[in-house]
Amino acid sequence: MRTRRSLIDLDDLRAGEIEYIFQRTADFERERPPRLLDGVACVNMFFEQSTRTMTSFTLAQQRLGADVITIWPKESSLSKGETIEDTAITLAAMGVNLIVVRHSEPGFPRRVALVFDGHVVNAGDGSHAHPTQALLDLYTLREEFGDLRGRKIGFVGDVLHSRVAHSSIAGLRSMGAEVVLIGPDAFLPRDFMQPHVRIERDFDAVLPELDAIVLLRIQRERFESMPLSDREYVAKYRLDARRLERVREETIVMHPGPYNRGVELDDSVLEFAGWRYARQVMHGVSVRMAVLDFLINGARSLVTQ
Amino acid sequence: MLVQGGRLIDPAQRLDRLFDLRIRGDVVAELGEHLQPERDEEVLDARSAYVAPGFIDMHVHLREPGNPEKETLRSGLSAAARGGFTAVAAMPNTNPAIDSPELVHRLCEQAASIGFARVYPIAAITQARAGKDLTDFDALASAGARAFSDDGNTVMDGRVMLRAAQAAARRSDGVPLIVHCEDERRKNGAVMTAGPAARKLGVPGAAPLCEDAMVARDVLVAAQTGCALHVAHVSTATAVDLVRFAKTAAGDGAIAVTCEVTPHHLVFTEADVLELGAAAKVNPPLRFAFDVGALRAAVRDGTVDAFASDHAPHTSAEKSGDLRRACVGFTGLEIAVGAYAHALPDLSLTRFVELLSTNPARILGVPGGTLRVGAPADVTVFADEPWRVDPAQFRSKGKCTPFAGMSLPRRALTTIVGGKIIRE
Repeated sequence: MRTRRSLIDLDDLRAGEIEYIFQRTADFERERPPRLLDGVACVNMFFEQSTRTMTSFTLAQQRLGADVITIWPKESSLSKGETIEDTAITLAAMGVNLIVVRHSEPGFPRRVALVFDGHVVNAGDGSHAHPTQALLDLYTLREEFGDLRGRKIGFVGDVLHSRVAHSSIAGLRSMGAEVVLIGPDAFLPRDFMQPHVRIERDFDAVLPELDAIVLLRIQRERFESMPLSDREYVAKYRLDARRLERVREETIVMHPGPYNRGVELDDSVLEFAGWRYARQVMHGVSVRMAVLDFLINGARSLVTQ
Repeated sequence: MLVQGGRLIDPAQRLDRLFDLRIRGDVVAELGEHLQPERDEEVLDARSAYVAPGFIDMHVHLREPGNPEKETLRSGLSAAARGGFTAVAAMPNTNPAIDSPELVHRLCEQAASIGFARVYPIAAITQARAGKDLTDFDALASAGARAFSDDGNTVMDGRVMLRAAQAAARRSDGVPLIVHCEDERRKNGAVMTAGPAARKLGVPGAAPLCEDAMVARDVLVAAQTGCALHVAHVSTATAVDLVRFAKTAAGDGAIAVTCEVTPHHLVFTEADVLELGAAAKVNPPLRFAFDVGALRAAVRDGTVDAFASDHAPHTSAEKSGDLRRACVGFTGLEIAVGAYAHALPDLSLTRFVELLSTNPARILGVPGGTLRVGAPADVTVFADEPWRVDPAQFRSKGKCTPFAGMSLPRRALTTIVGGKIIRE
């Protein structure tokens, strides 16, 4: 029976475990931890382009003293016809303990986890899931509001292709937040989400209600052809100076990055008091440290507390 | 030989009591209380065990000829004996397929020379299991075939299926067509049931309709032709509903339909694929908890006629790695008896033996299935003794099973075939 824990989507974690990870995140931000992953071999496999997430994971691993190896799959035997399953088995035989994987195919990391005798962390699989980003978003919201019960969190834009939104929604709902999805039909089909989430087409109407606005990038790479023009999108959904005037003072604005100035936001958002992008990125490293520590040492840390 | 001190269960005689069993030569000679051993008579101590007519697994893949790396007759029949089976029905999806009297005859001869357990060949419905031209049922039956099936290749062409059913119905012996019901076109390359786990894994899934639609077709074909139809490994709630309907609808058993269920479909669900991966890949695929509940209910209410393991050994390499490429099926003979008891702990022993011996013998029209005086001395001795599944100990070459590591509550102790204790 498989005993090693992996983090493929947020529902791999129980509520208590998310709390534990958040507590460790706070600990790590207060005081730099010792080498909790000393001698742990991590391999980062990014089949899709990444700067932010790749750097964030690498820093998290290095700060905990892990050995970090980066594989660029285009240069590895994966391009020589070896299957990812065979590669994972080979890596396990070498003593690799943890694989961080990003891939454009939904389900890819889960399939690696099926065969890899170690831990797997999903760093994004297509439009399916991105659990560490969801965790850092939840952490940022919790830092801001404490209790999320009754808070209204709006996701704006290309919800259909946003693995961040997919991963975050369940977590937000379990913490009692109200989720509002905002976007045009092309990015947000009516039957797209489970019940209990509100779908709004009119950003301007819902704007004053929101406690937090999560802007999403239009994932052009996942469309065969764009269903609407940038001009149409900007007119209805861009957060800009004009719309910020109608946002409540204590509202915060987040973005999983990378953001496209002029499309989902304009420069005034970057000056806005509630713009939390830098906090998100900072928490990202700590949350990933906490996730890695939990997966590798989880039980041990819980016992020694 | 005297089998002494056991609780003898023989549903065909409505027997369930502490009874001793005497065997002379290769037949049952005497049943009774406190039989005394005769001079020089071998005694098998069956105290605190159950004594039943030999178990028959009517759905087994022995891989001979063609794939000795997966299983040989010797390893497969040894596994059967270890698992408590005195006979198995062998599926024809070998290479070449069992589609000629010569191949049936050769299988019978080879199996007889190996021993361990009896083999009842199932011959192909169509040449090379290609779904086009019917085999010669009469010649195959004369050579020893006890049923017809194209096994994993569902006969997709409705006209071919109708002709096969007509040919089977023309025979007076009620030889059954055993149908693997999955609509291949609807399935379209799916590797598991469509559902949350398939979505999480990003692999193609197929809805249970694949199975249900074919069960419905074949039940109606049986109704029209009057052939005996046996639905292999039913796995969905709707499929058992269809079988239940067929058994009751026309009264007096006008539709001669029977069905079997496997250990894995009684225990696991599609969600288990998230943990077990390629080891849980099987056809029909694992379903939902709802279906598992319906299958268990169908065993209890009599809709299910037989337990069958669908023993489908593969090499370990073929059962690991990429879920999409891995081979389909896994080993079943050696976990079956324990797994059925695990799935249905409250099932009566009478019903348990019916499903493993009485009914399979009746469906296949073979001797055995009872311990009446004069019947073949095929006996399974089993007991409620918990044990842990360790595939490394299997006699089968196939070491893959989703039951690996589980503790099962029941096991076979000894088999006797034709009056001889089998020592694998």
